[in-house]
Amino acid sequence: MSVDAAYLSPSLPASIGNEADATPAPRGALGRRLAVLALRQGSLAVFIGVLVYFSIAAPFFLSVDNIGNVLGQSAIAGVLAIGLTVVIIAGGSNVVTGGIDLSLASNMGLSAAVYASLVQAGQGDAVAIICALGTGLLIGAVNAAAITLAGIVPLLATLAVMNVVAGLELVLTLNTVIPASTEFLATVSATGPFGIPVLAYLLLGFTALVAAVVQYTPLGLRLYAVGEFPEAARAAGLRVKLFISGAFLASGLCGGLAGILSVSYLSGSTTGAGDMLLPVVVTALLGTVFSRRLVPTIGGTLLATLFVSFLINGFQLLNISSTLVSGVQGLLILLVVSATTLLQRKGNQ
Amino acid sequence: MAQSSFKAPSFTVSVRGLARYALVAVFVVVFAIFSAIAPAFLSGANLLSVLVNNFALLAIVAIAMTFAVAAGGIDLSVGTAIDFASFAFVSLVLAGQPIPLAILGGLVGASLVGLFNAILISGVGISPFLATLGTLFVGRSAQQLLTNGGNPVYLPPSSVPEAFRFLGHGGIAGIPVPFVVAFGVIAGAYLILSHTRFGRVVLATGIQASVVRYSGIALSRYTAATYVLVSAIAAVAGLIVTSTVTVYIPSSGNAFLLNAIGATFIGTTLDPHGRPNIPGTVLGVLLLSIVANGLLLSGLNFYWQQVATGLLIFSVLAIGFANRKAASRA
Repeated sequence: MSVDAAYLSPSLPASIGNEADATPAPRGALGRRLAVLALRQGSLAVFIGVLVYFSIAAPFFLSVDNIGNVLGQSAIAGVLAIGLTVVIIAGGSNVVTGGIDLSLASNMGLSAAVYASLVQAGQGDAVAIICALGTGLLIGAVNAAAITLAGIVPLLATLAVMNVVAGLELVLTLNTVIPASTEFLATVSATGPFGIPVLAYLLLGFTALVAAVVQYTPLGLRLYAVGEFPEAARAAGLRVKLFISGAFLASGLCGGLAGILSVSYLSGSTTGAGDMLLPVVVTALLGTVFSRRLVPTIGGTLLATLFVSFLINGFQLLNISSTLVSGVQGLLILLVVSATTLLQRKGNQ
Repeated sequence: MAQSSFKAPSFTVSVRGLARYALVAVFVVVFAIFSAIAPAFLSGANLLSVLVNNFALLAIVAIAMTFAVAAGGIDLSVGTAIDFASFAFVSLVLAGQPIPLAILGGLVGASLVGLFNAILISGVGISPFLATLGTLFVGRSAQQLLTNGGNPVYLPPSSVPEAFRFLGHGGIAGIPVPFVVAFGVIAGAYLILSHTRFGRVVLATGIQASVVRYSGIALSRYTAATYVLVSAIAAVAGLIVTSTVTVYIPSSGNAFLLNAIGATFIGTTLDPHGRPNIPGTVLGVLLLSIVANGLLLSGLNFYWQQVATGLLIFSVLAIGFANRKAASRA
């Protein structure tokens, strides 16, 4: 169906982890396949189960209005998580030395601040959009240069960039809220056809676009190859550093886009964008569970974003304390990762 | 031909030798610049306040982080350990328990966080980044549940015993207690990491875990102990913070996280092999502390300070990693 399924048999990643077991018994591979299937279907089943429970417990939950709102509210986090997913795909699953972009949330904050400041300064939407996206792209370029040219580990490079970017946002906004309202912003935050917010359409459209490129084109296939087997990718003639740079540029651009969406959603730039970072990281990592081979995919990330948003929404509708949300997120990621790890370990035996 | 191939390595060695001390050089330069532009910087009172207010707490957390990074992992939940220590400490003091018991309670509270990490990392086999990220989130929720949705727990002055004040504001032979404690933690950590079997195993795990396993060492036990130790060290910072400000604020410990990671990795540039090491971490914390203080004194716009700090960390890392890259190419 996609890159995800076609390009490797499920038994391969297991054998990479342990060179002594270059050829796992077919039976074990089958067992693992079944277990992976169970995990993936299981998590989908949990997702659907939670939705069904909320719909019964809170009738308003299933209304078009509510679903549209949740989709709209997920747009900002969704775009950020998709940017991070691209970086994780290209950088590999080792989060310390591989793909991670800690600067994404502050990137969004600065891009939003740039947009709002330009609007305040009397500039038009076109200029503001270009500058906000340019800000995001520039941050992505700095990350890319630090990682591929200076050779700094992504975790640290993006950590340092995050500090600089968050500082620049403070310099620009003096830690205040900059209101911005233009026709374009009003259009984006308005309600579109069928009573569903425009932001929801934007999220779905953006996901479809990125998913099309990442999951269904040769470019996307190579991106996975670079992330999972950099040595093999290099041997096959792929320019690994170029792909990694591209991934960070793409994620920077996502930060800029998320900035524009947040200016529209909040009618201005606000402080505290950095708080989005860890939830976005968790969401992007959670997304792997919705893919067939337990790898990061764009569709999986969208599902994970929506899952978390629906969970928060359902808790609100049922008057359950929202303080539980971060705990549920934490437990989810631990459950998912434990299950995946145990499966891989089983595959190795 | 033979001559040139002799020359090449000696040249790289000297460049590497120089770059290795880039951190020391940056530190000296930054120190000199601040002394020149901000006269108050060099005063004894100011330097002491840097050591007590900026350095001591971050140093303790960064030392904790160094153990996790030395073992080839990372601990994103040091803030959670700080918070749990702080919460247990405040609760026990409020309940009228003696201070030594409250301190013990704080250490135990934080060690539970470490134990949770240890089970996830060496029991289940989750990567440290993900395991401790999960702990961070679960810990945040747990604290909100314990405090009715995240309300700070204040210690009224009437219920604060004298011994409590001593921890945050007292002095031993004129030296403030937080600094004495930080010094003790640094010295202890140095001894453990470079002079004990445990330290050697931790360092070896970070370099090549499989070799440790094949050497017949119970790797998972050492890893588990490492993460409990990380939380216990971080707890010390939580106890000092709490006794200084006499309040527990849920999830406030995370403020140290990114600086602790930064200091630890800045410190790795001091080691010829780029390994985490205690002196490097201490120098990294010192650098971050004097930068924070010096920028404040130099009258630079408050908001530019974060930019400057970020740029500085960035340049030290860039020099350190470019150096390592050159070394691996040579």
